[in-house]
Amino acid sequence: MTLIAAALAAITTVIALDGGGAASLFRHAYLVPVVAAALRFGAVGGGLAAAAAVLLSAPLVLPEIERSGVTTEAIEGLASFAVLGLVGVLSGVLKARAGHHRRRYEILVSIQRALSDEAALEVSLARLRAALAGRLRVDEIALIVRDDERLVIAGGERVAAGSLAARVLEGGRSAFVCDTGARGRPRRAFATPLLSGGRAVGVLAVERSGDISTGERAALETIGAHVGVALENARLVSRQRRFADELQDRVGAARRELEELDRAKSAFVAIASHELRTPLTALQGFSEILAVRRLPPEEVTRLAQVMRREARRLGRIVSDLLDLSRIERGLEPALCRIPVKIESTIEATVDLFRQGTASHPITAECESALPVVDADPDALERVLTNLVSNAIKYSPSGSTVRVGARALAGGVAIEVADAGRGIPADALSRVFEPYYRVPDAAGAAHGTGIGLAVVKALVEAHGGTVRVESAPAMGTRVTVVLPSAPRS
Amino acid sequence: MWALDQPCAPRAERLLADTPLALLVVLAVGAAVAMLLVEVSMLPAHAVRVVGVTAGQGALLATALAWASVSPASSVVAIALLGLAATASAVAAPGAAAYLAPALWISWLAARGQLDSLGLGTPVSLRAVATGALAGAGLSIHLLVSASRTLGVQVRVDHASEILSAIAYDVGANVLAAECFFRGALFNRAARRWPFAIAATVATAAYVLRYLVDPLLPKSPELVAGAVFYLALLGAINCWLLAWSQSLVPGVVSATLFFAAYRTLGPR
Repeated sequence: MTLIAAALAAITTVIALDGGGAASLFRHAYLVPVVAAALRFGAVGGGLAAAAAVLLSAPLVLPEIERSGVTTEAIEGLASFAVLGLVGVLSGVLKARAGHHRRRYEILVSIQRALSDEAALEVSLARLRAALAGRLRVDEIALIVRDDERLVIAGGERVAAGSLAARVLEGGRSAFVCDTGARGRPRRAFATPLLSGGRAVGVLAVERSGDISTGERAALETIGAHVGVALENARLVSRQRRFADELQDRVGAARRELEELDRAKSAFVAIASHELRTPLTALQGFSEILAVRRLPPEEVTRLAQVMRREARRLGRIVSDLLDLSRIERGLEPALCRIPVKIESTIEATVDLFRQGTASHPITAECESALPVVDADPDALERVLTNLVSNAIKYSPSGSTVRVGARALAGGVAIEVADAGRGIPADALSRVFEPYYRVPDAAGAAHGTGIGLAVVKALVEAHGGTVRVESAPAMGTRVTVVLPSAPRS
Repeated sequence: MWALDQPCAPRAERLLADTPLALLVVLAVGAAVAMLLVEVSMLPAHAVRVVGVTAGQGALLATALAWASVSPASSVVAIALLGLAATASAVAAPGAAAYLAPALWISWLAARGQLDSLGLGTPVSLRAVATGALAGAGLSIHLLVSASRTLGVQVRVDHASEILSAIAYDVGANVLAAECFFRGALFNRAARRWPFAIAATVATAAYVLRYLVDPLLPKSPELVAGAVFYLALLGAINCWLLAWSQSLVPGVVSATLFFAAYRTLGPR
């Protein structure tokens, strides 16, 4: 600025020494500082430099006009000053416009940079705010973005109801406030919506002590639209990535589940084959003995009892497999429900096991006058058989297996308890899954891993519930609750 | 941040709100009566100037003080001091020193923080004062040079007592009242509702108009054109000084220097 002032003064001095006059050749030299001022300070700078040139030369030009009137030379000189002003202002305007364009492109680049990675919205917004604050030349700036139900704010704590930002966010239109009421220099505030798809997704708010010109407001609106689109794009990309990650996780989990299921089925086939083969071998062996040998009647009876037991076992396994097949197809087990007295079913099942095994004492304790349940007797027997069989299999020899029943409001609870090793807590939730076998138990006893799954399906088909309580080394208790039959 | 924290209520204040109309009417009636009395020779002729200064400058100053929410009593005191100073000045040239009284009264109000909204009493940097002085000096030099070359006047210091008396009037009445009203009050209010350019144009136009209707301004076309040119320039510069520095002091300095230079001009 000092250089420009010095140049203006020097040119004026030269004109004065030259004899002054409106048409002095040196007047054209004013163009240099005027254009320099326009390029340095814009339209205001160019205009002021031109005005200063006119002011400085006025004492030289005006007396001549006063003396000789408006001569051709005077008109030429005055026209030169008009051109000077025009050049100063125009150069400044063009320079300012070029500067605005450059700054706008820089801002757009900074917006893209700030939102280029997949940081959290809060981080991206803070980064964007910092980038804009450095370029918009405002005192304060805030960015507010809607993220579902919440507002993410950079540059403030909250958006008060009825505030400028809230109004723009609701109305979707820019708003300008000439005076915020601050003391001292008038403080302007401008807020413009961040638009995406014609919808306000947020607000860009700025404040400045001094003017925010119409041109600046238009530029801010454009920036708001760009920020809105960039934010929406960033959000879409982020959402897409998140969705892809989630999908990948789900596919991985499903694959692992399928692999586990596949392993379980393979194990099941092996176990089921073994389980089927054992009674078949017994039936085959004993039937061959009966066919080819003559045995005393007592021995024949014993062998026939063994064969009957193994045939029942075989039948049970086949029934379980059929039920499981129905369960896996999403069907409920086929039931033929009639009023059933629980006590007699329990007694019959317990008697059956007492005859078949001498290793575990089995007690049956039923409350008197239990309500009748509406159940399929065969299904109920299979439920009890599965539970008692499990209790015997997974508890040490000599330990007692307790079977009991008690009345509940609207139903009957059947409990089968053992004093076995128990089930680890982390396996409890999975014991009703088909093919699942508690890892420790797999080596302790034979089993297909479908018994409890069938129990659960059968009980639930009756409208009942089943739950397992267990503690390691304390035993396991399975409680089946069946609804009582409605009284006719 | 205001745009986020505060409710955005529309500001309904009018541009001329809080104008002390009653006081202005009293001043106008007083001036009219006084002039009538001068007309019928019940008052001496120089009473017209006393009344003119008191009513004219007093109206500007009272309005500025009222817009700054200063009590009416303070405005009345300022008007009274202006009247006393004008009277003292009319009686004898050294009486113009009494114009320091209104300036001191305004300074006292500013020191008490009552004139912050006018830009008085707020801190001002030496750089701002120097810029004001530079602007005033530049304009003064330009006036002295161009006026002495074109308007048939020249710098004359042979009437020093009159010059000092006029400068005292400028310090305590003319510049003080004009800067307080046209910049401190009018420009500041206009700037709160319009951009700088419009606010400065409104305040400067009113400022120029005030001098054009001043009976003391010579009515020759050259002088009127010169007055419009320099006063418009001075007004615009002072608006910028106030907006930039947030203080009225640089503008007061610049205007005082300009008017001091103007007072040194006399016919060739």
